[in-house]
Amino acid sequence: MTVRTLAAALIVFAASAGIGGAQTYGSGTPPPRTTDVHALRALAQAREIHERFEIGLGAERQGAWAAAAPEFERIIALRPGEPQFSTANYDAGIAYAHLGRLDDAARAFRTAIGGDPEFLAAMANLISVDLSRGDLREARAVADRFITLAPDSARALYSRGIVALRQGDTAAARVSFGRLLQSDPQYALAHYNLAIAQTRDGRYAPAEQELRIALDLAPSYSRARFALGTVLLREGKRAQARAAFDAVARDPGGDVALRNLAGAMRDAITTP
Amino acid sequence: MSRLWARIVLSGVLLITVCGGAAAGIAGASSVESALEGALQPSAAPALLGPITEAGRKGWACKPEQAAAARTVRQAELPDAAAP
Repeated sequence: MTVRTLAAALIVFAASAGIGGAQTYGSGTPPPRTTDVHALRALAQAREIHERFEIGLGAERQGAWAAAAPEFERIIALRPGEPQFSTANYDAGIAYAHLGRLDDAARAFRTAIGGDPEFLAAMANLISVDLSRGDLREARAVADRFITLAPDSARALYSRGIVALRQGDTAAARVSFGRLLQSDPQYALAHYNLAIAQTRDGRYAPAEQELRIALDLAPSYSRARFALGTVLLREGKRAQARAAFDAVARDPGGDVALRNLAGAMRDAITTP
Repeated sequence: MSRLWARIVLSGVLLITVCGGAAAGIAGASSVESALEGALQPSAAPALLGPITEAGRKGWACKPEQAAAARTVRQAELPDAAAP
């Protein structure tokens, strides 16, 4: 009887130990294993940076740019190491750009690249901001570096081509868009931009060819059709030019200013 | 005598009219050319790439950095012909 009682007691004890083990709770945030003031301060700062990134990115996801910017400014002021420093500057740059603070945005992207010299996304965004604020010199320098680091990047080639066209460097634009078309011949905008460069150089026949390809790829591309009309007019093909302008003027989905200009061009062309 | 003056005045008026018309024509042609040049602009600059988490640009999950390095137009998030 005593043996049986002892065995039953052991079974009950073993079972209760298992239940007790299943009821233990893991600690979410481990307590700091230090009492050192500097170490505790560093832990608190790391936590603040993490939380501010979460809040700032959440605000950017909602388009609340004015709320996002101070979160990244505070992170930058805390001078975290990489990659957080360059990333906070990058994210601040996006918020500034959406707030129309283009100079601040350019400075933030520039600082991000300074912290991480191979930060391609920051280069891409700096070029876009520089194009908006008219700093073509910096845009070109960054685009050249972007191409050097990522020679096959579609965005690098496109951005450099656009900057070159704005600068009037048609030779560089032709090279950039030509290389982009080698990797993606179906990209209508690259054909269009290549045609713009050729038109500015007075190379109307190849420009016409590129514009016709662009329109085959994107028949509703009104700006390319208008450019085709202009090239045809310069080639002396007045009837075809008139037809191109007429098509743009009649396009219900086209830009109103472009439609009006196309209508005026169509009416001004007298065909024999 | 008065006929002579009338001829001189008429000739002057005609000359002014012709010169004015020619000048207006040149100005008109120039404005048409500038309008055409204004319409022959490059397509839009690429839109901004999106935010990056505190983990930074290195890593498989960083889409903006991947878009910046992408070889294809689609992955690079470049403008399309519908919104040039």
